[in-house]
Amino acid sequence: MSGAPVLEVENLVKHFPIHGGLLQRRVGAVKAVDGVSFAIAKGETLGLVGESGCGKSTIGKTVLKLIEPTAGRILLGGEDVTALKPGAMWPHRRRIQTIFQDPYSSMNPRLSAGTIVGEPLENFGIAKGKDLEARVVRLFERVGLRPDSMRKYAHEFSGGQRQRLGIAKALSVNPDLIVADEPVSALDVSVQAQVLNLLIDLQEELGLAYLFISHDLGVMRHISHRIAVMYLGRIVEITDKRTLFTNPLHPYTEALLSAATAPDPRRKRRGKKIVQGDVPSPANPPSGCHFHTRCPYAVAECKVTSPPLKEVAPGHHVACLLR
Amino acid sequence: MSAILEVRDLRTQFDTLDGVVRAVDGVSFDLARGETLGIVGESGCGKSVTALSILRLIPPETGRIAAGSSIRFEGEELTGLSEQEMKRLRGHRISMIFQEPMTSLNPVLTVGTQIAENVTRHLGLPKKAALARAVEMLDLVRIADPGRRVYEYPHQLSGGMRQRVMIAMALSCDPQVLIADEPTTALDVTVQAQILDLMLELKEKTGTAIVLITHDLGVVAETTQRVVVMYAGRKVEEAPVEALFDNPLHPYTRGLMRAIPRLDVEADAAGTRPRLQEIPGLVPLLTRPIIGCAFAARCELATDRCRTTPPPFVDAGGGHIVACWEAKP
Amino acid sequence: MVAIADDLPLPPRRFSLGTAIRRNPTIAFGGILLLLLLTVAIFGPSFVGDPLKIAPVNRLRPPSERWWFGTDQFGRDLFTRTVYGSRVSLIVGLSVAAFSSLLGLALGLACGYFRRVDGIVMRIMDGLMAIPSILLAIALITLTRPSLFIVIVAIVIPEVPRIVRVVRAVVLSIRSQPYIESAIAGGTRNAKLLWRHVLPNTLAPLIVQSTYVCASAMLVEAGLSFLGAGVPPEVPSWGNIIAQGRTFFQIAPWSILIPGGFLALTVLAVNLLGDGLRDRLDPRLARRL
Repeated sequence: MSGAPVLEVENLVKHFPIHGGLLQRRVGAVKAVDGVSFAIAKGETLGLVGESGCGKSTIGKTVLKLIEPTAGRILLGGEDVTALKPGAMWPHRRRIQTIFQDPYSSMNPRLSAGTIVGEPLENFGIAKGKDLEARVVRLFERVGLRPDSMRKYAHEFSGGQRQRLGIAKALSVNPDLIVADEPVSALDVSVQAQVLNLLIDLQEELGLAYLFISHDLGVMRHISHRIAVMYLGRIVEITDKRTLFTNPLHPYTEALLSAATAPDPRRKRRGKKIVQGDVPSPANPPSGCHFHTRCPYAVAECKVTSPPLKEVAPGHHVACLLR
Repeated sequence: MSAILEVRDLRTQFDTLDGVVRAVDGVSFDLARGETLGIVGESGCGKSVTALSILRLIPPETGRIAAGSSIRFEGEELTGLSEQEMKRLRGHRISMIFQEPMTSLNPVLTVGTQIAENVTRHLGLPKKAALARAVEMLDLVRIADPGRRVYEYPHQLSGGMRQRVMIAMALSCDPQVLIADEPTTALDVTVQAQILDLMLELKEKTGTAIVLITHDLGVVAETTQRVVVMYAGRKVEEAPVEALFDNPLHPYTRGLMRAIPRLDVEADAAGTRPRLQEIPGLVPLLTRPIIGCAFAARCELATDRCRTTPPPFVDAGGGHIVACWEAKP
Repeated sequence: MVAIADDLPLPPRRFSLGTAIRRNPTIAFGGILLLLLLTVAIFGPSFVGDPLKIAPVNRLRPPSERWWFGTDQFGRDLFTRTVYGSRVSLIVGLSVAAFSSLLGLALGLACGYFRRVDGIVMRIMDGLMAIPSILLAIALITLTRPSLFIVIVAIVIPEVPRIVRVVRAVVLSIRSQPYIESAIAGGTRNAKLLWRHVLPNTLAPLIVQSTYVCASAMLVEAGLSFLGAGVPPEVPSWGNIIAQGRTFFQIAPWSILIPGGFLALTVLAVNLLGDGLRDRLDPRLARRL
């Protein structure tokens, strides 16, 4: 792990305005991402885990510049791309690719699989004609698809195969980083294993970095090197995988780990520490520490002071006043 | 302990443009009084269709329960009942909760009205008493301030709350059987944990037997007593939950268990990731009759016999049965 | 190397006319009817006589072996005139559908895709939709010399907003599809994005909507001609035939009923085709079975 990180995010903020009333005035904002910083080194997988509305997908879309950040900085391989307009952003897209959650809707139903996979190569003028076709054949083989299925349409593939197509497309331009937004959560377990193994193989072979977004702690533990836990737009804990699972420090991380199910009938549900209540709305998050409304350890100060993310051990950052 | 629900040789078929889909192809199981039975399998294995078949909710325009199938509820054959008689049963003695509560709740009626309507329809309670019952039910599923919540509309509630309302409605007429089809799949992890706890607690309180249909082996392990594993419309294994997870016998069940990224298994010191076991290939098409064992094409143990003759159930003792020629109980 | 994942074995689907008709009876019925009418409109006039030939001796003859559809008050053969009339109706219907689709598609794409254009264009469209189309057409025709072309223009203008709205709504929904984001992330730029990813997916609803426009254009043309504000009176359009037969309706009802019946049949054929296409091309409806 040397040189500049493939991706660095500093104090990223994304607020979605809420419009209301007859004149569609701005009446508030959903604070989807509220001051998030992290970096991903070459060949590393950073997992972003959290429940719905925590802003993990918004971070993915923002670093891809599919949506514009409200504030903060995004650096791709050391270059600041935060303020780039679509035209100026375009050359940088080669370095950061994406795999989507839903392999059904992330492919144009009217294009053949070969066209979909080869499109980025075409877009960046990397290959055309026979060369393009040869490269697409190699990509198909690399992700475990038959090259003769190139002429089929996306709907003729199964879910797992479609996800392979998505991976082939992302790989086509040799990116440094792939943003994978819940890439296996729509798949059955047996197929999920195939796709996770493929992602890991590709990483080891090509030195890819992943920003891996998921709500599934089991998947997270399997694929990530480091994990950032998010709650209502903020990172509450970030550390290496081992530490996170053996020594979680944030009460929310603890709650997530305790709530997750495991295929072990002796790990009975009773006696588990389950946090109560639902995730509050990101349009109107609680004051101070966002988690204080559900936190079993909360004290009076948690309602007032928003805890900073501080390093409690080398590489282990926690945002909790009590640690 | 007698069975409250006996399903025998259930076959449910759908007509599609590609031919007849044998969604459920000869499934049999029993549900004992007060028991929690898990039906587990991947998408398309027929677990949800099994649930819909029990409630006779298969759309008659496209699908049917084939002749020879039998579903007996408290000794009464359900396949022969009229729609009127089924309506009296559904939501009363057998109820169901679905994955997405928003689609099963009427958006223009308050949750109180919807629960009360169910109570009035089945128990004949007057309006006032029915609404009081609704409040009582919301309190039972631990919704705070139930007296106010009964007057709210589904969109005013969070996903977890709506699932609680669904449970309240399902239990409002003291059913003997509750069928829960992926009840927590659409929910966040922390909320899923709350709902599972609630279901188990209520089961103990009311004695309702539960059929829990899910793709999540973790949920099955932590909540059920007995498990039916389905593959391609057939039951491949059935066992008490401990036996199934300690000693899975069917190659498919084993494959599934090795394919899950485990939260509870420690990675080695170097932090290298152990490879997940893959099950090669795909689920067979259900439009063609499956000769032999449905899993044969993906199974590493498969022999010629597996490909030609469907395996019978082998008893491994202690209520553990498996449909496999090669499994060694 | 990873194992080659098995392909999903999809059974081959061979095309056969028989099954196609059985599966889409409305498309088949509407299509065949329309095809027949088109054949009549294209080739019919070369086999019948002069629609303007006056024969006062034979005025107001009822349908018979000699005059299949009877004659009008000038003794003109109504069969000949009806055959010619189908040509006018179909020309109006098809060209209105074509012109308004093209215009509507361009504007709709622009509105749905470039949000800044949207505000301005859609307000103009709202304004156009507030003007009753018959009044607009009458105004336009009184300002110019009546001709077939002017009638077409007069009908196209109020129809365009209907198409724009449909296309814009479709484009807006396509824009939020993950495959568009996926294409942008893969470096696809605006022009190609529109051409390859957005445009092809708008065509199905556009075709469906244009069949409805076609049907309504034929009705409006007949209405305008009936009011005397349509194609010049010497042109034998169904509207004109009906208008001219109006005075003698009680003694010669065939002069209105027969062209009126043809108009209804044509509109029905086009609408059936549109309904059938809608069910067939809408993936949500098509997948139901």
